[in-house]
Amino acid sequence: MFSSYQLNHDLYDEIFEDHGKIKEVYKKLFDIYGEHSIRDYVNLNEKAKSSFFNQGITFQVYDKEKTHEKIFPFDLFPRIIDPKEWKIIEKGSVQRSKALNLFLWDIYHDKNIIKQGIIPMELISSSANYLDQMNGIDPAGGIYNHISGTDIIKHNDGKYYVLEDNIRCPSGVSYVICNRTALKRALFGVFNHYKACSVTNYAENLLDLLETVKPNGVDIPNVVVITPGMYNSAFYEHSYLAKTMGVELVEGRDLFVENDFVYMKTIRGPEKVDIIYRRVDDAYLDPLEFNPNSTLGVPGLFAAYKKGNVTLANAPGTGVADDKAVYTYMPEIIKYYLGEEPILNNVHTYHCSRPNELKYVLDHIQDLVIKPVDEAGGYGISIGNRLGKDEISLVKKQLQANPRKYVAQPIMSLSVHPTYIDKSESFEQRHVDLRTFTVLGKDKEFVLKGGLTRVALQKGNLIVNSSQGGGSKDTWVLKK
Amino acid sequence: MLARVANNLYWMGRYIERSEHIARFLNVNYFSSLDAPNARSQDRQFVLRSMLFMVGEPVGEDVVLEEDEVLYKIGLDADFIFSIRNNVKQARENANSARDLISTELYEAINKFYHFVLNYDREAFLKNGLHDFTVNVAEMTSVLRGKIRGTLLHDSLYAIILMGVNIERATQIIRIINTKYQDAMNAQGSYGDKFGNSFEWTTLLKCAESYDMMRRFYKKTPISITTLEFLILNPNCPRSIMNSLNQVYRHIKVLDPSKAYNKNSTAFLVGKVRAEYQYKYIEEIEQDVQLFIEQILNSLSEISKKMESEFFNY
Repeated sequence: MFSSYQLNHDLYDEIFEDHGKIKEVYKKLFDIYGEHSIRDYVNLNEKAKSSFFNQGITFQVYDKEKTHEKIFPFDLFPRIIDPKEWKIIEKGSVQRSKALNLFLWDIYHDKNIIKQGIIPMELISSSANYLDQMNGIDPAGGIYNHISGTDIIKHNDGKYYVLEDNIRCPSGVSYVICNRTALKRALFGVFNHYKACSVTNYAENLLDLLETVKPNGVDIPNVVVITPGMYNSAFYEHSYLAKTMGVELVEGRDLFVENDFVYMKTIRGPEKVDIIYRRVDDAYLDPLEFNPNSTLGVPGLFAAYKKGNVTLANAPGTGVADDKAVYTYMPEIIKYYLGEEPILNNVHTYHCSRPNELKYVLDHIQDLVIKPVDEAGGYGISIGNRLGKDEISLVKKQLQANPRKYVAQPIMSLSVHPTYIDKSESFEQRHVDLRTFTVLGKDKEFVLKGGLTRVALQKGNLIVNSSQGGGSKDTWVLKK
Repeated sequence: MLARVANNLYWMGRYIERSEHIARFLNVNYFSSLDAPNARSQDRQFVLRSMLFMVGEPVGEDVVLEEDEVLYKIGLDADFIFSIRNNVKQARENANSARDLISTELYEAINKFYHFVLNYDREAFLKNGLHDFTVNVAEMTSVLRGKIRGTLLHDSLYAIILMGVNIERATQIIRIINTKYQDAMNAQGSYGDKFGNSFEWTTLLKCAESYDMMRRFYKKTPISITTLEFLILNPNCPRSIMNSLNQVYRHIKVLDPSKAYNKNSTAFLVGKVRAEYQYKYIEEIEQDVQLFIEQILNSLSEISKKMESEFFNY
């Protein structure tokens, strides 16, 4: 099945060593897959696709007249992470989440890190995601980023680097679980040879940790998940999480606030709500406090939050810390709050807001990735060595016009993994990353043992986001 | 349970049930008309008109109907709100918004059903797919009812879905009775096929999947009065109005278990309507079937409205 697999030695392949030998941990899997013909594989792949379709794990795509339902492409060849490497990833993810949490507390309270000159004031004051309203508010348990998604890659030096922290409403965890289900259905035999950690315990741990940050005076908290609605592209995930936690999935219109307490409208009248896992962006949470045109939110919600009568997870205003400009200070932030060396590497970043670094960036665009600091979903990214002459001059103009909006990083070479490609009906190398999911509660934390391996399905493409045509793989963290 | 979601689940139940009755009506009427006993009831126009009447789009005697158009319209037309396709689509939309509350098994079955209907090819449907399509729709709704009963908690959520199913069932059975009653009137006149023992009574019972059991109960060929009695008043016939009212009563008591006298509650209204038909003679109904149809449809819609204001108010 791998006879036509082309090994490009310039890339770091997750399953092959330099001279084409298979890595120890993949050997058994490679043999098992080798017993299948490519025909078998094509059939299994079709089956896996229809399994996703029937489960309704789809997102909507809009074109001219009709909306279509599409599945998030799933690759049947799993990624394996051995326990030693996982330990580093897990510790590193927790370290970052904790540091970010302390950072958020600081910048919404005394701002010591700024006073001591470790990070510049402009970084905060110029951020669109900094919420003045959050100043001086003490979130329950001192937790801001209850749920963090950390995007990690392996560079061609074999080391892990963090590309991005996502601490607003990171999504994707339901796919981790669906991918496992789909792979088990299609190739159950392989699980007899590998002991992979379970991923289905996410929801119970999430609920458990959310309950540690209940408002004062509440005995048994009433938890809900709030969604923008069933037409949101992540609705499947919202409903999955509500279902597996066994809590209500609500929309803004199901809630109301009275005397600074939040209630939901049930068939038996109002019922108080204590903890809201919100999958609605800051701006839409409360029309009285933020975007006044929002119909997704709940008028008065923020006032109730301020009084400490309801917990919001994640807290409003966390976006200021997963900004790509703050990212560049992560090593300093970790050292400052935790007194530790960063466990996961940061990619070196040039701040276009600094004149000398801007100059370097302008001179070396071909070797750099230019990213807007405040966009998600892989939008607005320019990869230097893919740009034509006109595009380069356009990017230069944008950088000069608004340097604060951009950072630049060396082009990282994401590792590649054999991936089944529909078109050629064969396995090819494709770039992958990994998103881990970390949950912080009061004095407790949890990292899902697994994570979402996203794969860029276009040959040579480095952007793995689903909005840019990416797919995903089941990811096994092996038991020790 | 959220009031909004309860409302959606109620309607999910209604749409599932509705698509089944329309599908079976199409199937039974079309295929039984092929060898119907007289020229009138065998006439294509007669059957097509009857189908349109049943789905609430009656057309006059002077309109000439195209078979393909009518079948497509009722089966698959995306632009016709009462088509089977749109009913299934609505059932799924409503299920979608309550995905977190219903079982994966039920959701997957609804989703499969939706994709089956949505992807049904127009040409295949018109060429030779009518039987396949309608039989599959009816079977899939059976599967859904099985999943509802077999995989959900039997609590207030279940009660709400089954309220929807049963109110819709009663409504559809009335609509079918109404349609076939008209057909029996219109098909009179040819050799000995009088209203009372019209062929249409058999068709009516088959539309309600009640023909065999009716024969078992009466041991005679169906005539107007026995057919109506069986389908309206016999509480042991699972498709009868009486049975549906009993079910609605049972489920409203789950939602509202209070025994206190409260004449403004849905439970009170359901009990009142149920009591009226529980002690009725079919002869009373037969005197003026049209009046009965109007009254019972009115009562069902009152119950639905009452539910809305009592439980779904959000």
